[in-house]
Amino acid sequence: MAPALAARVARCHNNRKNGIVVGTDQITLYCPLRTDHGNMDTGTHPMLEAIALTKRYGDGTLALDGLSFKVFPGQVYVMLGGNGAGKSTALNLFLNFIEPTSGEARVDDIVTHRYPLKAKKRVAYVSENVMLYPNFTAVQNLDFFARLGTHKKFSRDAYRDVLLRVGLEEEAHNRRLKGFSKGMRQKCGIAIAVLRDAPAILLDEPTSGLDPKAAFEFINLLLSLREEGHAILMSTHDIFRAKRVADQVGIINEGRLVMQRSRDELMDEDLEALYVRYITGQQQEDGGIVEFAPSMTTAHV
Amino acid sequence: MFRLLLKKELQEVLLTTKFATTFVACLVLTVIAFVGGAHNYKVMQAEYEAAKTENVRQMEGLTDWDQITHRVFLPPQPLAALVSGVSNDIGRTTQIRERGELRPEDSRFNEAPIHAVFRFLDLEFIITIVLSLFAIVFAYDSVNGEKERGTLRLAFTTPVPRDQFILSKLIGSIIALGIPFLVSILIGAALLPILGVPLTGGEWARLAVIVLVAYLYLGVFLGASVLVSSSTRRSSSSFLVILVVWIAAVMIVPRMSVLLVGRAVDVPSVDRLNFEKNQYRSQLWNDDGAAIMAWQQENPPRMGNRDSLQAWMDGFKEFVGAQADGRNEKMNEFNSRLNEERENRAAERQRLALGFAWISPTAVFSVVAGHVAGTSLELKTRYLEAAERYQAIYAAFHEEKSGNTGGIRIVHSYGDEELQEAIDPQELPAFDFRKQSLSEVGRFIMPGIGLLAVLNILFFAAAFVAFFRYDVR
Repeated sequence: MAPALAARVARCHNNRKNGIVVGTDQITLYCPLRTDHGNMDTGTHPMLEAIALTKRYGDGTLALDGLSFKVFPGQVYVMLGGNGAGKSTALNLFLNFIEPTSGEARVDDIVTHRYPLKAKKRVAYVSENVMLYPNFTAVQNLDFFARLGTHKKFSRDAYRDVLLRVGLEEEAHNRRLKGFSKGMRQKCGIAIAVLRDAPAILLDEPTSGLDPKAAFEFINLLLSLREEGHAILMSTHDIFRAKRVADQVGIINEGRLVMQRSRDELMDEDLEALYVRYITGQQQEDGGIVEFAPSMTTAHV
Repeated sequence: MFRLLLKKELQEVLLTTKFATTFVACLVLTVIAFVGGAHNYKVMQAEYEAAKTENVRQMEGLTDWDQITHRVFLPPQPLAALVSGVSNDIGRTTQIRERGELRPEDSRFNEAPIHAVFRFLDLEFIITIVLSLFAIVFAYDSVNGEKERGTLRLAFTTPVPRDQFILSKLIGSIIALGIPFLVSILIGAALLPILGVPLTGGEWARLAVIVLVAYLYLGVFLGASVLVSSSTRRSSSSFLVILVVWIAAVMIVPRMSVLLVGRAVDVPSVDRLNFEKNQYRSQLWNDDGAAIMAWQQENPPRMGNRDSLQAWMDGFKEFVGAQADGRNEKMNEFNSRLNEERENRAAERQRLALGFAWISPTAVFSVVAGHVAGTSLELKTRYLEAAERYQAIYAAFHEEKSGNTGGIRIVHSYGDEELQEAIDPQELPAFDFRKQSLSEVGRFIMPGIGLLAVLNILFFAAAFVAFFRYDVR
């Protein structure tokens, strides 16, 4: 285990030991073994966890139906699915932008809808289209959002280093964002997430609209963040890059997790074909795929 | 956290074209208002001094106090330069007779009706119209604008408490609008002494109160704008809603209140009253004329003997004086009754109109600012009261000097009287018009200030509640 990852795992254990948040009416029994569906437990508790997460909107739309998965420190979990599958709803539940109809979204064992501010301290988020204050420079935006997330002051060198790390040229650091391309804004967004040093990172279609070079750089950055022990939950349509970075891939269709596979399991698989099969429901005709069973059991007490 | 949010809020606003435009417009308009107000004050002060001098000059050389035409003048109020109120609508000159009704004449609008059409660009206008409009422009998109730009979502992925966020929006917009407002006021205030409007300590305190109340007034629009912004998804919707609210509050309600109450409470016109008074006066004069004729027939003058003629003259004078006193008493009684009826109805209409208009913060601010500046509706009442008090003093002075109590005067000349000395106008009692002190004004302005404070609290609280339910995605 890399030292950064080891440190992060130790921190997660401490949080759990210190009882920062304990679910009140559920006991979660973890299966330490790798399951047939690729849910790999690294021996610690998950940094991000969806437990039978269900969301029904006011108009009756069932956006999520019993979604369960875990993302451990040092893992990248990729959610694949079509438009309206429920990926963004899942991210919104982790950010407590909406409350679940039932089930729980947990960050470092903290139930997000009960303790949203505590949970948000441990989460950074990068959206598909990073929107920052156009009249502020990159450094000013970084300063505001990073301090908002951490309550810490950072040095000018820290801003410079992190912006260089995400690939933003130095001459752009003190320029207003008005003239920034989408890729440059995306870099600023990921810089904020990096500077916040949150143990969990949520990414919503982060490579959408980026040119191939920018997307390549972004993926490399993601891999380095994984190496540092961040738990990363990413929703995307980009199957090619999903396969490249994912430790686990979950396919969501109509609010349900219909497939979950680990990197090893996907090694010899054609992810695109799998995706199309699961999304279109062809697996039912083939008869080769059974309904997904999560790698944990939930018992009500 | 709050300081960080507030700093961001201010930085964000201060870097916008909106702020720069507001600052320049506010500065230019305020300076114009102060310079224009100072000019008007100087003109009115010069006219006031000239009128007083002329009043004395036309008495020079006269030897009889009965021959003078005496006038008193409403002294210009220095703060009328900034809050003109009704100062331009009411007559500044009043002819004082020993008896009879007093009628202020020569209002500024009467002399130059063009000003009545376009009004003056004073500080009150800038605050009630221009700055309140800037207030809604500042805050109409404070919340939903961030949502549209996508920064609200990113901000709320961090552990930022909603109460601190919305508080930073409210305080930030207050400070951001306060910068152009206060800087403009300070520059304008610094110009006043240079422009020849020397304010006393009390008047500086009044100006400070006006600025404070203006801040409360603008706070109402800022709070309402943040509330609407926290209750709508799109900034275009919130702008439309708050613009309608602004038009209603600033333009419609104050005018509608007068219009509606005018229909509900009928106040007889001054012309109708004057007609009735003149009719009654003519009737009394006819009656008195007949009585005098009858007295003369009963008591024919005895010519030839100077003493007996003097005795007749004294008797006649006594009779005419008694008739004049009686006529005056009846006339006063009749006038008082008519005036009282009209005043009661007018007061009722005014009370109702003001009560209805207080739905609008603009009306509240205008009333409070008028009271503080000494140019409210009270000015006319207080001026007339002062003139009536002076009339009694003048009547006593006149009687002492001339021996006459007014009415008919009979002069019989024997041609051998000694030349009388010229009168000394400086002997005239001084007209004293004292405006209310700030503490006296307190009872008039406290309800208005309280109402504006309550509206601020209500809108701010409602904005809090709305934002706690706001979908920040």
